[in-house]
Amino acid sequence: MSKHSTDADVAFIKALAEILNTNELTEISVKRDYAEDDSLDVRVVKQANVVTMTQAAPMMAAPAAVAAAPAHAPAVVAGSDDPAQHPGALTSPMVGTAYLAAEPGAKPFVAIGDKVTEGQTVLIIEAMKTMNHIPANRAGTVKRILFEDGSPVEFGAPLMIIE
Amino acid sequence: MSAEALPQGWPQGVARILLDRVDSTNAYAAGLGATGPTWIMAAEQTGGRGRRGRPWSSPRGNFYATLSLRPTETADRVALRSFAAALALREACAGLMGTGAGLALKWPNDVLLNGGKLAGILLESTGAGGQIAQLSIGIGVNLIAAPTPDQVESGAVAPVSLLAETGIRVTPETFLTALARAYHAWESRFQAEGFAPLRAEWLAHAARLGETITARTGQSSHQGRFDGIDESGALILTTPQGRQTIPAAEIFF
Repeated sequence: MSKHSTDADVAFIKALAEILNTNELTEISVKRDYAEDDSLDVRVVKQANVVTMTQAAPMMAAPAAVAAAPAHAPAVVAGSDDPAQHPGALTSPMVGTAYLAAEPGAKPFVAIGDKVTEGQTVLIIEAMKTMNHIPANRAGTVKRILFEDGSPVEFGAPLMIIE
Repeated sequence: MSAEALPQGWPQGVARILLDRVDSTNAYAAGLGATGPTWIMAAEQTGGRGRRGRPWSSPRGNFYATLSLRPTETADRVALRSFAAALALREACAGLMGTGAGLALKWPNDVLLNGGKLAGILLESTGAGGQIAQLSIGIGVNLIAAPTPDQVESGAVAPVSLLAETGIRVTPETFLTALARAYHAWESRFQAEGFAPLRAEWLAHAARLGETITARTGQSSHQGRFDGIDESGALILTTPQGRQTIPAAEIFF
């Protein structure tokens, strides 16, 4: 039951997405009361940075090998450009910690712009001290890397876009 | 490589390869392409490594082996073999020591003896489309020698050897047979009954259960009460911020 302008809502959500993008935030939830029976609930989440644990401290970038990752994961406003729905998305087969390189300080498996062949190891996901070498699901060029080195990932989370 | 008759008590349907010297048994297993379960043991490793590329000191006389498997399961289920391997390793040690006293498990799969690190396990898999194609379970045991404390990461559990702690001298080959038998039994149980019995047994031997521990993940550090493991094997930590389940971390006591 919205009596106020939809355009104003859109502008408000856009502003929230901008705040999310320019700060080290992963989620913003806001409730706006306009009048009785007229309110807006918004939750904006950075989907590329899915977190499995409650972070006690703000996320810090790992010192090594982070150069290949985008400094800030792109913010995603619900309904638009979800990387998980991208046909070139490589998604996580499991819950764990994702790594860009075999070990700290080592050369990353891939960087944005690299050409990869299907089956080539592009990242590692660790769970239960099992290092799972994750292969490229298709041949192509690495267009986006959607996680930071050493960050937790959920099952099904988009990790890379290869097209 | 040697192909003599397998020792008495060796599990049926499992192959064994003995090497004198190799860079790492896990790397060897990954390149081998074995179709059935195969244990690869080396007398010496020139490039032994642990989690996140940490070097694993590998002089002669200690145990270095990898079990190569080809599980056709999803990645999360395959990773539960971390616990099967830890239980088998603890059992093999207890069998050779004649007692389980002093042995404990540190999440997820280190074997401790008298509070020191006796053995470590590193699993590596390759796969495609959410399915695992090959799994290497690499196991190192300090049978006769342990690295000095200055060779391990600050704050890590101090390494110990079986010989120094118990006076028992076991050859790597004898250890391999005991371990292969024990692993085979846990693998069969895992396939028949799932993770529940492994989880129960693991918890029965877990070090520091109910105590305060620190879990260091790739990007952060969490301190809390160690409240067991969940059905995916993840560590349960109760912190001031609430209950956290952690699938990958280095644990500090």
